[in-house]
Amino acid sequence: MSAEKATLDSSKEVVDCRNKNKVRCQFCNSLMLKPKAAMFIEKQVSEQKYLNFQLTFIAFQFKLPLIHQKNSVDIKDVETEEISEYWVVNDMLTFENIGFSNQVENTKFLTCADCEKGPVGFNIASEKNCYIALSRVKHVE
Amino acid sequence: MAKTYDYLFKLLLIGDSGVGKTCILFRFSEDAFNTTFISTIGIDFKIRTIELDGKKIKLQIWDTAGQERFRTITTAYYRGAMGIMLVYDITQEKSFENIKNWIRNIEENASSDVEKMLLGNKCELNDKRQVSKERGQQLAVEYGIKFIETSAKSSINVEEAFLTLASDIKAKMEKRMESSNPPKGGVHVSKASDSTRKPESWLSRCSLL
Repeated sequence: MSAEKATLDSSKEVVDCRNKNKVRCQFCNSLMLKPKAAMFIEKQVSEQKYLNFQLTFIAFQFKLPLIHQKNSVDIKDVETEEISEYWVVNDMLTFENIGFSNQVENTKFLTCADCEKGPVGFNIASEKNCYIALSRVKHVE
Repeated sequence: MAKTYDYLFKLLLIGDSGVGKTCILFRFSEDAFNTTFISTIGIDFKIRTIELDGKKIKLQIWDTAGQERFRTITTAYYRGAMGIMLVYDITQEKSFENIKNWIRNIEENASSDVEKMLLGNKCELNDKRQVSKERGQQLAVEYGIKFIETSAKSSINVEEAFLTLASDIKAKMEKRMESSNPPKGGVHVSKASDSTRKPESWLSRCSLL
């Protein structure tokens, strides 16, 4: 299944609110999540809807820095894109393989553990939840 | 939520700067042309999952990320560490000599039962070698630890090194558990109870979440 943003159909990847397939690095294939390990979440969902899953999640809209910065290397001036669809896990040990960046303000960014490409997602320092952007990874049966 | 693993081991990579510790954390990637956001901010730690004797083991691996330049590796960094990879560069004599200093630093700051292993990295650069394999082996024997030469760049022995260290930590933990829970009833062994205690594969145990 393609990881291309334009062709990613998330509805095919979500079964019972969870990831149907394995989540892998789109560059080196490193396994990040096993099937059903993570919950699907979309930006601006209400807290109520997900209370059952004990997520401390309130409507959000996250701008994830681009993997390849075209111009800037200044942390304060990074190029970002808005991403709305994420896989979320509430324990970082749910990951098979993942990298955590150093903290920038209150955020740690997630990378591939093998090739270090990223960010593929993020973690807010005060929270346990980790978010993986569907469009930054590959979904493989 | 059900635990999806059997053990969690915290590991550290220690050694002089430039010996390739960061490369040992991941497969070497050639990404020299693009400025990436991640390479600018740096990696804090990684989580890796391995399997040993049917047990699922999570490794949480830290690298000193340049702190070693300032010799500021202190107790805080070593806290909770169960295994330490001591890394030198076979093309840098100085990095090998400094292993002794690192071991002293570990003895002063880390838990006394931390499992250690010595890695001679960059073994793909044999023509620039300054430290023979024998000297590496000898030093390891001196400290009673295991030794392996690795090439993070050519992916030689890196995985083996982590499996070895994890396996030694696991063996130590299991030994400790056995000694704190000695089997009851002396030498009496019942075949029936043996079969019921047959370990399930982690696949069947780890129904996810």
